[in-house]
Amino acid sequence: MPEWDDREILEGIKIPGKEEVAFNQLLQKYQERLYWHIRKIVIGHDDTDDVLQNTMIKVWKSLPSFRADSGLFTWLYRIATNEALTFLKQKKKRALAPWVDVEHKISETLESDPWFNGDEIQLKLQQAILKLPDKQRIVFNMKYFDEVKYEDMSVILETSVGALKASYHHAVKKIEAMLGDD
Amino acid sequence: MKKEQNIVNLQHESLKKHPFGVPDGYFESFSERLQKRIREDSASKVPVRRMVTTARIRVAMAAAVLGVALISYSIIRFTAPNSGSSGFYPDIALLEQLQMIDDDSYLMELMSSRSEALNEEEAFASQAIEYLAINDVEMDLLFE
Repeated sequence: MPEWDDREILEGIKIPGKEEVAFNQLLQKYQERLYWHIRKIVIGHDDTDDVLQNTMIKVWKSLPSFRADSGLFTWLYRIATNEALTFLKQKKKRALAPWVDVEHKISETLESDPWFNGDEIQLKLQQAILKLPDKQRIVFNMKYFDEVKYEDMSVILETSVGALKASYHHAVKKIEAMLGDD
Repeated sequence: MKKEQNIVNLQHESLKKHPFGVPDGYFESFSERLQKRIREDSASKVPVRRMVTTARIRVAMAAAVLGVALISYSIIRFTAPNSGSSGFYPDIALLEQLQMIDDDSYLMELMSSRSEALNEEEAFASQAIEYLAINDVEMDLLFE
């Protein structure tokens, strides 16, 4: 499948009658990367599908007014991250009791999730990651699994590089400690 | 020692692989499903807006009619004569009526008692004048 150039996609969006084709090219290029980014935040496949759809609808609506000050990739990641965090907040609000730990519930359902293919150590790692605060978890996932540069992460998460490095360092220490306790 | 082992494990390449899977053909069908949802959203948007607008207009009209009715009623009620003592507070109106009756009777009693007193004085004066006239006493002496 051809990898479309961001500039071509953005130009296509502005041409009347070509918007849908250009948007389809954007989807082909980024849907899978955004899916995995969201999946690592919300964990469940169905939830990820909902968040990805909401993200892409927002992208579709906002594309005509998108100014290419920041790259398309960072803009898409920012929308996806915000949508995933909003989804988690709503899920916490919908919890029947305030003391219900949503992350703990997600962690429990991970074992019976038909779309979780990991082994025992991968399960423990995911359960440890779920115990991190939301934003620290995102930083850890982006660096550890996707190897996103701190500079790009800084634009996506609107946080300084120094703060991101510190956050990742703390996350690694916590996860090591949690895995060491098991 | 155990901690060091965990550090090595965390840096192991096998751990960095995504442990999640997706249903078959998910990514192939995603674009089609999304574009269908976008079309449905844009198609259902107009009637929903119209419904909301119509409902808002109806509520606003009902509120306006109710407001006009309330204002009219208040004007009629509070600007009509004797509005304060009739209708709204029947007990107070009754008390005021009784008070008025009491005041009238008190005045009548007062006036009648005063007239009786005056009549007695007049009778006494006329008797005195008759007596003085009979006994030929000069009137000037009386006022000295």
